[in-house]
Amino acid sequence: MNQFLQQLINGLSIGSIYALMAVGYSLVYSIMNFSNFAHGSVIMLGAYFGFFALTLAGLPFALAFFVAALSAAGVAVLLERLAYKPLRDRHAPFLYFIITAMGASIFIDNSVIATIGPTPKTFPSELLPSFLQSGAIRIGHVDVGRIDLAMFAITVVCLVALVLFIDFTRLGKAIQATAYNMKASALMGINPGFVIILVFAIGGALAGVAGVLYGMKYQVFPQMSAITLKSFIAAVFGGLGSLPGAMLGSLLLALIETFVSGYLSTQYRDLFSFIILIAMLVIRPSGIMGKTAEDKA
Amino acid sequence: MMLSVHDLHVAYGGIRALRGVSLEVDSGEIVTIIGANGAGKSTLLNTITGFLKPGKGEVVFKGQRLGRQPARIVKLGICHVPEGRLVFANLTVHDNLLLGAYLRHDRRQILADLEKVYGIFPRLRERMKQMAGTLSGGEQQMLAMGRALMTNGELVLMDEPSLGLAPLLVKTVFDIIREIRGLGKTILLVEQNAHMALEVADRAYVLEQGNILKTGRASDIAQDPAVRAAYLGTKSVAGGR
Repeated sequence: MNQFLQQLINGLSIGSIYALMAVGYSLVYSIMNFSNFAHGSVIMLGAYFGFFALTLAGLPFALAFFVAALSAAGVAVLLERLAYKPLRDRHAPFLYFIITAMGASIFIDNSVIATIGPTPKTFPSELLPSFLQSGAIRIGHVDVGRIDLAMFAITVVCLVALVLFIDFTRLGKAIQATAYNMKASALMGINPGFVIILVFAIGGALAGVAGVLYGMKYQVFPQMSAITLKSFIAAVFGGLGSLPGAMLGSLLLALIETFVSGYLSTQYRDLFSFIILIAMLVIRPSGIMGKTAEDKA
Repeated sequence: MMLSVHDLHVAYGGIRALRGVSLEVDSGEIVTIIGANGAGKSTLLNTITGFLKPGKGEVVFKGQRLGRQPARIVKLGICHVPEGRLVFANLTVHDNLLLGAYLRHDRRQILADLEKVYGIFPRLRERMKQMAGTLSGGEQQMLAMGRALMTNGELVLMDEPSLGLAPLLVKTVFDIIREIRGLGKTILLVEQNAHMALEVADRAYVLEQGNILKTGRASDIAQDPAVRAAYLGTKSVAGGR
């Protein structure tokens, strides 16, 4: 029972970070119908921004977080303007977008290796808030890591804010309308280019937050961008293009992973992740909560 | 003239869809464009609202030459009820209508217009909290019209509003078109249902294979033998055309 609870808590913590990353994939997909594989690189850059804001610039922790979110949003928008907009202007087929995304990702990752270097960086614990400096909190027979707790709390705040924004604001409704039908939303006076910038900025900001959290829990290193592929699997699992789907998929995937790691072996973890991906694509390609053909009609 | 289209040529996908179309719409008029499927009617409306790029020719609205940015054209005062309605099925009826007012900031006037729209379409008020995707075809058409009215554009472009509706609903739709004119709107109506369109319109253009064949008062066009044979359901040409 204790082991079960322990795995549950680990799963929720990892799942929350997946969710923060997965919504970025889903938001962009919902508007542009392609998977932005450069998203992981934005997450990685976000982690570095946060790390340097804290260590080099000596900013307070909360401000470093903010800087990471803002810079990652800037990178994501820049990526859209430089890499994807030229393709959109030429009405390029969607395959070009995916190839461009992969190219951009390789470029960003290797730029980081070439300039900052491949050595992982660890967030110095003395610069973290005092709450995060000491060891795990013991509740009954279960250890709850302080960073895990912070990850979960910050994620919940971010995702609730995102859902409120999407569901209850004029801009959020504009995003939903554009996701449903770009032509019809343009007829309402909604500028598709603006909505695209908006979703890249939101996805990028959340990527920055996720990157810092991930870097705090583990380390900051260039290959982080590849590791975030898991969150893409989670987005597909939950249904690409659906925000609740991305969140649910992330939690489920992370729980399955931690239980496989805990009860079978860590070696089987990724095997299960990819089995889930393939099985989902075969049985229900639209994912748990994704748009089906008739919803779209 | 509120809207003038000069010598418009549009080609896409290797098809020359419009081959020099000119037409004018004056303030307060209902003008209809009738023509067969594939004559270029929707192409014309989509070019006016900036979705298609003309190879030649221009569209002038209230003295301004229109470009290719639909969102800006909406702001100038043209609203477009698109073919196939294109309501936002994933949002409520109420949200669909509010999105029509996306560019407007006059909150009080928006609420007044919302009341006006619910007045014209009581069915929409009954279903305001329902997802638009759950509406029937006729209700979706009403929502698309109401949503366009919420943009507060002076010129309303309507693309096949009666398409796919039961005969009784078709009549309702045309009654509503008259009601919308009563609000002081100018209407450019594209229709395959030439009979109803000519009844409601002041003037008409007959579009065939990307060319304007005839133009005149709607009542005169309705009496034209060639038009009667081709578009008003004379048995000899029933079917496709």
